[in-house]
Amino acid sequence: MNASRLFTAALQYVFLATAAFLSIFPFIWMVISSTNTSIDIISGRTGIGEAFATNVGNFFAQVDVPLVFWNSTKLAVLATLLTIVVSSLAGYGFEMFRSKARDRIYALVLLTLMVPFAALMIPLFMMMAKSGLINTHIAIMLPTIASAFIIFYFRQSTKAFQTELRDAAKVDGLKEWQIFLYIYVPVMRSTYAAAFVIVFMTNWNNYLWPLIVLQSNETKTITLVVSSLASAYYPDYGVVMIGTILATLPTLFVFFVMQRQFVQGMLGSVK
Amino acid sequence: MAEVRLTDIRKRFGALEIIKGVDLSIEAGEFVVFVGPSGCGKSTLLRMIAGLEDISSGELTIGGAVMNDVDPSKRGIAMVFQSYALYPHMTVRENMGFALKFAGMAREEIDSRVNDAARILELEPLLDRKPKALSGGQRQRVAIGRAIVRNPLVFLFDEPLSNLDAELRVHMRVEIAKLHKELKSTVIYVTHDQVEAMTLADKIVVLRSGVVEQVGAPLELYDDPANTFVAGFIGSPRMNFLKGRVATVADGHVTVALTSQPEVALTLPIASTSVTTGDAVTLGIRPEHFLAQEKGDAELAVEVDVAEHLGNTSYVYAHVSDSERIIIEHADVRKIASRETLTIGIAASRSFLFDDDGNRIR
Repeated sequence: MNASRLFTAALQYVFLATAAFLSIFPFIWMVISSTNTSIDIISGRTGIGEAFATNVGNFFAQVDVPLVFWNSTKLAVLATLLTIVVSSLAGYGFEMFRSKARDRIYALVLLTLMVPFAALMIPLFMMMAKSGLINTHIAIMLPTIASAFIIFYFRQSTKAFQTELRDAAKVDGLKEWQIFLYIYVPVMRSTYAAAFVIVFMTNWNNYLWPLIVLQSNETKTITLVVSSLASAYYPDYGVVMIGTILATLPTLFVFFVMQRQFVQGMLGSVK
Repeated sequence: MAEVRLTDIRKRFGALEIIKGVDLSIEAGEFVVFVGPSGCGKSTLLRMIAGLEDISSGELTIGGAVMNDVDPSKRGIAMVFQSYALYPHMTVRENMGFALKFAGMAREEIDSRVNDAARILELEPLLDRKPKALSGGQRQRVAIGRAIVRNPLVFLFDEPLSNLDAELRVHMRVEIAKLHKELKSTVIYVTHDQVEAMTLADKIVVLRSGVVEQVGAPLELYDDPANTFVAGFIGSPRMNFLKGRVATVADGHVTVALTSQPEVALTLPIASTSVTTGDAVTLGIRPEHFLAQEKGDAELAVEVDVAEHLGNTSYVYAHVSDSERIIIEHADVRKIASRETLTIGIAASRSFLFDDDGNRIR
């Protein structure tokens, strides 16, 4: 290896090490802080403390953990499944069916990506209020189901789906919905896995819309509860860190379990 | 097996007509090959027979029943695709039995049919493998097996050997020919490879731009092409075409003088009475029909560009004039060099005459 290539490689390693440190540091800091008292955290203590058990106890005393986890899990899983079903059907349809209006409708769908959620918030809230859905989990799920990004993702991935498989299935006697269910879904399982990870994380971390719509403690999710702990008059940061760790664990779990399929799915969509 | 009839079949995409009125009769048990260059409509026509493309107008019958609007699975056809189209998440056994399972056939009957097809195609050791664990040739055999188990009236093959290497292609070609003999089924086979067409077909349908140019047995097309397109397409290397003009017409014979070498005149027998002196014509001569010097009815001087010696034969790429290039096949000559001037013989009995529009003058 000559000097120039060695220097380039060293630069790459430095860059990647810095990026990795910046990504991991908040997690390390979160875990260390969860072992310290709130005063230690504010005073900038960076070592591992002895308050972990106290913080956990306080968190469980202040929060109805099973309820908020049930709320978050129910919302994230249901919304993710619905989003994937609707968006994959749309992506399949946009790619497989020829029509004069197809590209115009697709352009309209993509245009919705340009509209920030903040601009939709008030009209959406009014719609939900008129429908009597405020403070319900349905109101959280409905606006997320048809995701323009996931439709785009499925359409791009469907380009790699051999159209001859669809033809072969037609000759074998399958109707369109059967082709989708028995051929497309199993063949595209990596795409589904990657979409599941992306959508699940988005839904689990969803904060702004649930904050507006969910008004009672019985319906609140983990992200809202952790946020409310952090914004108390005298926030106990040790307790907040415990809540943050617990809120992070499911997304980490989903990501690590589906890591291989996630990478395959992402590669498939850009090939 | 069943006969297939196409009557004035047309396919339009908006204002664009892709298939322009095809009339065709395929007898039961016949092996018919659709051949033509890319974009000629051969695959579209096959897909219309399969029911994968709508028929814009005309009538399609299979076994006497009109099939225009019948679902592909109810037409009595089975199709083998260019990319094999095996379901990647299923084993070979599941792939082969999938259509039968879907049709509600009993488990024992499915197993029996799959095992029979696997035995014919020597797929028994591969039945529990998934397609990704198979070679190209094995995948192709599975695709054929999937068609066989359905016991179809008509087999449709869409360029099934295109993705295989040259050696495997020859092997599979022989396998398909043997299979047809064994099953005695009606086969419609699409290819752009005229060697496949010549070796497999009972009947070849030559297509160009959505129009049937000629239908006939392989040697019929080789020996008696209807126009310059068919003459050029059937036969490898392709037929040579030399521009000429009618010098004299008398007593059922026409004498043609070549444009590039007016001193070269060839007299051919013709039945047509529409040819008159001065008409522009094209003389067609296959590479393998050129003769040695002093052995033909006329002689042509050519300058050699390149000579390829393949061992069993030699191909000489030469030019008659700046604009007319020809290929000569010489089985015996091995010592032709570039830039050499060669005199070759032309036999009237092995030459074809075409009019200015490319149609054969007989």
